[in-house]
Amino acid sequence: MIWLTWRQFRAQAINAAAALAAFAILLAATGPHLASLYATSKITGCHGFACQSAANTFFGQLAGLDTVVYLLGIGLILAAPAIMGIFWGAPLIARELEARTFNLAWTQGVTRTQWLAVKLALTGLAAMAVTEALSLIYAWWANPIGKAVGLGSTSAPALFSQGQFSSVFFASHGITPLGYAAFAFALGTALGVLTRRALPAMAITLAIFAAAQLAMPLWVRPHLVPSSHTTASIYAADQVYGSLTADVVPGHPDAWILSSRALNAAGRPVTAIPAACVSPTIPGRKGGTSAITPAQCMQSRGYHEAISYLPTSRYWPLQWIETGIFLALALALAWFSFWRLGRRRA
Amino acid sequence: MSAVIETSGLGKRYRRQWALADCTLSIPAGHIVGLVGPNGAGKTTLLNLAVGLLAPDAGTIEVLGGVPAAGRALLSRIGFLAQDSPAYAGLSVADHLKLGAHLNTGWDMGLARRRVEGLDLDLGQKAGTLSGGQRAQLALTLAIAKRPELLILDEPVASLDPLARREFLQDLMEAAAEQELSVVLSSHLIADLERVCDYLIVLVGSRVRLAGPVDELLATHHLLSGPRRDPATLPDGLEVISASHTDVQTTLLVRTSGPVMDPAWTVSQVGLEDLALAYMSQASGRRRRDNNNHHHLEVQK
Repeated sequence: MIWLTWRQFRAQAINAAAALAAFAILLAATGPHLASLYATSKITGCHGFACQSAANTFFGQLAGLDTVVYLLGIGLILAAPAIMGIFWGAPLIARELEARTFNLAWTQGVTRTQWLAVKLALTGLAAMAVTEALSLIYAWWANPIGKAVGLGSTSAPALFSQGQFSSVFFASHGITPLGYAAFAFALGTALGVLTRRALPAMAITLAIFAAAQLAMPLWVRPHLVPSSHTTASIYAADQVYGSLTADVVPGHPDAWILSSRALNAAGRPVTAIPAACVSPTIPGRKGGTSAITPAQCMQSRGYHEAISYLPTSRYWPLQWIETGIFLALALALAWFSFWRLGRRRA
Repeated sequence: MSAVIETSGLGKRYRRQWALADCTLSIPAGHIVGLVGPNGAGKTTLLNLAVGLLAPDAGTIEVLGGVPAAGRALLSRIGFLAQDSPAYAGLSVADHLKLGAHLNTGWDMGLARRRVEGLDLDLGQKAGTLSGGQRAQLALTLAIAKRPELLILDEPVASLDPLARREFLQDLMEAAAEQELSVVLSSHLIADLERVCDYLIVLVGSRVRLAGPVDELLATHHLLSGPRRDPATLPDGLEVISASHTDVQTTLLVRTSGPVMDPAWTVSQVGLEDLALAYMSQASGRRRRDNNNHHHLEVQK
C-alpha cells in the first residue's frame, strides 16, 4: 500500500520538492547578503538610541528584492497549506471515486481502512513536512529583519513592522504551519469523500480554509491563553498622542495588545479627548503659556490606559495551543473520512 | 461441494428503492456461474455485495465462508473485475502488476507477466491509453494473478467488440480451468454467457427468478406447441413460464420434473437464451400484461 500511495503521489511530491528547492535557492542566494548587511549595521552590541539608528541604517540598505522575498516568503507559507489541501487532499479520495478505481483498490488484499490510513498518513505528513520546511528556511532567512524590527526602528517599511504576534507572522512561524497544513489537507480529503467529486471539493476546501485562516487571528487566537492586564500612563502607552488607545505596553515592548481603553482619574472610560486637553497649554516658566500634547495634558489630569495584553512569554504556549487545535480538527476530519468510507459504498 | 456464495434474504436499498430484495441463493463451488438480467435488475448490486464494496441493508451474505471484505485474508481469496474494468489512467501496465504484487499476498508475478506478454500488452504503456479490450484484459490479469479461489466479474465484456468479447471469454475459460476457479460473471446479454457458463441465475426487477445448473434447467424445461388452447387446462405438475398464441396455435414454455405425455403437444428442447428470456418476460409481463410475445422481448433498455 505504501508503494501504491507513493506511486500515485510521486509526481506531486516531485513538484513540491522542486518548488521547495527553488524557494530554498532563492533564500540561499539572498540570505548571506541580508546577514552581512545586518552584521555591518552595528546593531550587534548596540545600546539605547544607537540601536534604533543602526536598525534604520539596516533597513535603509535593504534592496527591493529583499522586500519582495520577505513578502513572497510569508505569502508562500500562508498559501502552502491551502495548496496542499486543494491539490493533494481534495483529489486524494475523490479522484478514486470519480474514476471508479476504488473498485480496483478495495478488492485487492488490503482492507479499506488500511488503504485510507496509508494514503492519509503518507500524503498528510508530506504536506506538513513541506509547509514546515518552508517556514524553517524562511525563518532563518528573515531572522535579521525580525531582530531589527524588534529594536523599534522608525524607518522600517510598514511591511516589516510586524511583531511576532502579528497575524501573518504568527501563522507562518514556529509550529503553527504544521497545524495549518494538517488541517487543510484533512479538510480537503474529507470534502473529497463527502462530495465524491474533486473539483467541488477543491473549491469548498479553499473557501473553508481561507475562512479559518481569517477567523483564527480575529476571533479565536486572542482567547486561547489568559491575558495579562495592566494600567499605564497615557503618555507611556499612547504613542500616537491623543488616540486614546495603547500602542505599546510599558515594560513589554513586543507584547500583543488585545484591547485597551482610556480611563479618567475616577476610573470611568472616556471615548474622546476632554475639551480642556484638545489644544492644551501650561503656564510658561517665563510667563505666558507653552503648548503641550493632549497626552501630557491628560496625564497631568490623572487619565490612564487600561490594557489587556499577551506578553512574549505566552508566545510558545499560544503556538502550541493553536497548532493543537488544528491538529485536533485534522484528526476529527480524518476520522470522518474513515467513518464515511467505511459506512457506505463509494 | 461447499457454497462459494451463500445469501439469505439479502437486500440492498438505495434511499427507498430496493436494488436487490429478498435474495436467497447458494452457489456451489466449481461452477462458471452466469448472472443474467436486464439493466437495473440488481446484478451489480449483488456482485458488489459479494465483494464487500456494498454492505447489505437486509439479510446476510457469506462468501467463501466469511463476511465479504472483512479482512485481508478473505480479500486475497477473491478476484474482482468491476464494471468497465477501471484502471489507474496514469499508471503503466507494469505499475499495475506491481500494484497487484504489493497489495496481494498470493500474487503470482510469473503468471501476470506471461498473461501480459501473451496479450501483447506493452508493459510501459499507460493504462489510460489502452483500448477497452486491453484494459479489460489488464483488469482480468490483476484479478487472476492474485490466485483467487473465486473470481467475480461484473459485465466484463459489455464494452468490448464481438471479437474481443469472444477472445476475452475464451481466455477466461482457460484460466478458470487451469486454476480450478469458481467464476461468477454477469451480463445483460445471455448470448455471451451461453457458451461459457454451466450454472445460471436470472435476476429481474431486483429479485432472483431462476437459479440452477444449466443441464438441470434444460432438462426440466420444455417448449410445447400445439393447437390453440387455454394454458389453464393443462395437467398438474406443469408450470407455465411463458405462453404465446396465434389464432390456431399455442406455444408454451413449461417447467416440469417429469416427461410431457399429452400427445396433443409437440415437445421440443429449449435453448438457454430462450429460457432466460422467458423468465425475464414473465417478470416484466406482470408489469406489461399485454405483451405476450416472448420473442420480442426487450432485453436491452
